[in-house]
Amino acid sequence: MKHQNVLVIGGLEVSLPNGHRILNGIDLTIESGRILGVIGESGAGKSMIGSCIADTLPAGLRISRGSIDFDGLPLNSVTAKSRRALLGRDIGFIPQEPMTALNPSLTIGHQVGRHLARIGFASARLREECAIHLFEEVGLDRPKELLSNYPHQLSGGMLQRVLIAMAFASNPKLVIADEPTTALDVTIQAKVVELIARMVENHTTSVLFITHDLRLAADLCDEVAVLYAGRIVESGAASTIIREPLHPYSRCLNLAAPNLSGPLRPLLILPRTMPSAAERTLMQGCEFAPRCPVADTICATQKPSIGLVAQDHRSACHYPERSGSIEPPPARTGALPDVAGTDVILRAGGLQKTYALHDWMGRVRKVEALRGLDFDVRDREFVGVVGESGSGKSTLTKLIVGLENVTTGRLDVAGHSCEDRSAAALRAMRQKVQLVFQDPQSALNPRRTVGSLVTQGLEAQSGRLSGEARQAIAQELLAKVMLPPDVIDRFPDQLSGGQKQRVNIARALCFSPRLLVADEIVSGLDVSVQAQILELLRTLREQAGFALLLISHDLAVVRHICDRALVMFKGEIVEQGPVEDVFGNPRHDYTKALVAAARGAPSSHKAAGRE
Amino acid sequence: MKRFARLADLRFLLSAAVVVTIVLVAILAPHIVPYEPNDQDLLNILMPPVFAGGSPEHLLGTDSLGRDTLSRLIYGARTAMTVAIFASTGAMLVGSFLANIAGYFGGRIDWAISRMVEIWLSFPPVVLSMLLIVGLGIGTDKVILAIILVDWTRFCRVLRTEVLVARRQDYVSFALLAGFSNSRVILKEVLPGIFPMLVTLFSLQMGISIVVEAILSFVSMGVPSDVPAWGQMIADARIDIYSAPWGVALPILTIFVAVLSFNVLGDSLNRVLDPRSKIAHSS
Repeated sequence: MKHQNVLVIGGLEVSLPNGHRILNGIDLTIESGRILGVIGESGAGKSMIGSCIADTLPAGLRISRGSIDFDGLPLNSVTAKSRRALLGRDIGFIPQEPMTALNPSLTIGHQVGRHLARIGFASARLREECAIHLFEEVGLDRPKELLSNYPHQLSGGMLQRVLIAMAFASNPKLVIADEPTTALDVTIQAKVVELIARMVENHTTSVLFITHDLRLAADLCDEVAVLYAGRIVESGAASTIIREPLHPYSRCLNLAAPNLSGPLRPLLILPRTMPSAAERTLMQGCEFAPRCPVADTICATQKPSIGLVAQDHRSACHYPERSGSIEPPPARTGALPDVAGTDVILRAGGLQKTYALHDWMGRVRKVEALRGLDFDVRDREFVGVVGESGSGKSTLTKLIVGLENVTTGRLDVAGHSCEDRSAAALRAMRQKVQLVFQDPQSALNPRRTVGSLVTQGLEAQSGRLSGEARQAIAQELLAKVMLPPDVIDRFPDQLSGGQKQRVNIARALCFSPRLLVADEIVSGLDVSVQAQILELLRTLREQAGFALLLISHDLAVVRHICDRALVMFKGEIVEQGPVEDVFGNPRHDYTKALVAAARGAPSSHKAAGRE
Repeated sequence: MKRFARLADLRFLLSAAVVVTIVLVAILAPHIVPYEPNDQDLLNILMPPVFAGGSPEHLLGTDSLGRDTLSRLIYGARTAMTVAIFASTGAMLVGSFLANIAGYFGGRIDWAISRMVEIWLSFPPVVLSMLLIVGLGIGTDKVILAIILVDWTRFCRVLRTEVLVARRQDYVSFALLAGFSNSRVILKEVLPGIFPMLVTLFSLQMGISIVVEAILSFVSMGVPSDVPAWGQMIADARIDIYSAPWGVALPILTIFVAVLSFNVLGDSLNRVLDPRSKIAHSS
């Protein structure tokens, strides 16, 4: 059956005013009723494609060449007015952050109603009926009551459902989804993806699905295009690209992502970083060549053009056949040696934390954040804590580092009991326990240099260090996290995301702590940067000898570096044990749901969609 | 983008040049004035400036008592700058001290300080300062004190929110975990972050102090009558406004230029000092 093309992008180029190109020769085609995934790391320019279609390019950027044809209509030559008429009616959007996409001061009903009025529902009664119908379709309970609710009364997952309902309300020909699941919990992510697939089927809509997540794209999309440095390096059917990529970059991305099943292997680390817009404009050859493990001399001098390498499979590489030969780094001898000691560094027994909330009449309501936790962490052991937001993970970190007090139960951290909360005891304890913050942007003072940041902990100690001694310690710490010595005088704003996270880790290592508590330290990072940090932690583990409590929502990450896993659900530990046991053979219902969500649900949409 | 950056630089350079000139003139006043500000030339009263038909002996003319307008403007700058610098510094110190305490510690302290600011702000500022002068008596130091007592609230209010934002950053939590004392956290972690706003507010406060000083002098509640001040010059010349309009126009123009350049300087300093906006410019 011949499909009609809904969106045809040809030779699209987006430039900065100084001529540096952000996007370069993008060709994309979406047939009606299909889902096209655009995969890329941050800085690759993937969101720019959506912005070009929606006409929301940031100030200064412009389309310098190429065409966007939507349903036979050249979008870049129609008037702004008729183009705006298309948006929201024939082209729908699902935003990245559902929390900020709706106006917090207006009810859901008001905002949905306004959208429906715009797409042609004249009477208020009709609009309400339609909204209720849509809400039922996206699986929202009590749709009638929801209409009079305000956005803050709904969870992120529910809001995203509301926005999906709005995007599909007009039966648009195309929906642009820019990282629609990134801000959501894992188990909700899977449901939202399922919902999008179902909506596509019901409304025969095409979707441009922009994501950084390979696994997600493989689950949902029919075709994918891999974007690197503003250029499409590979495109074709989703399953083939994920399983048998024919471009070294796609292959490297695959090897850099930790997996939840199959043998445990070290992650591939790509050297250097993606070239910036200025660098890539000057490059003679392939943009990926400087980082490519199989690059040849020709790769640095001549740009490969994208061409068919197999049926329905295009790759922009001089040697597509070589990609298969890229092997993961050899497993270290005696992979994951049992370095864990026998001393217990952290022990929690019947640990309980209750918050007392006062309402406006002064009545007290108790909220149990943690309910009877029993676990311990041994010396040099890596333990992963998984669970959704609201499961009490952050409360646990606060208790461990002594930012909050234990309500009942025991908590011994590095030989210090939770009962002794004197300033001296806390100080002694905090030399042995360090917290690595989630967001390096917020955790590093932008007005301190890297050298001053990593040795910041020393400032609080009595006895002043000379500047040189401090410099030497800083150099040593930077070497530990494999940062070049010349970053010592730079400010955090001059570093990349991965480098900042290394500084963040180096700072925690300043005291040679015995326990590191790391809160989602890789969740905001790109796949290739995440691989670098994970491998760094594994290396450090062999040298430095600290225990790690890694809090993460990503089961694959936990499996990759941890020995044991704790699964938290609503303030309780529902399951704990060696990583392979917990994830390979989950017993508790919640763990089962988590593992299923992380593995990717068997996609019903795909089976049904391909007769 | 680039042109904007250049325009901002130009604004910064121009306003900084005017501000530096005013400060220099104020410092060097005794050496550059053609006449003593209180010397009378009774043969030449109410002379227009030289470009409006006056004589070159008095470049900007004379007032109704035959005093040289240029000399009085120069000495007036001295008064204005003394008041502006001391009053703004004082208001900044009081305001930012309380702002840091309120924003950093929060809770009841924050509540008390915030309510105090609100009550303070509900008085009309000029009336409040006049009331204070009535109580304190006139004099340059009294004017400075009155402005500090009225205007610290502006610093406190704006900086408190800045401190609140900085307080929530993880680097403050880290410093506390690392064992920093509260005062050290404020000085080393919080204060550098709010510094651009502090400098900006200071510059704006300079302009406001000039205006308040002029108002108080205008109603003869500011500096003593033997000290030349811009507001006083306007008050002296307003009786002869129809026969000698320059006497009123020149000090008004001077106040206008001084306040405008401090405001523009404050605005452009904010952009120059803030690292976030610097990144926005370079990209």
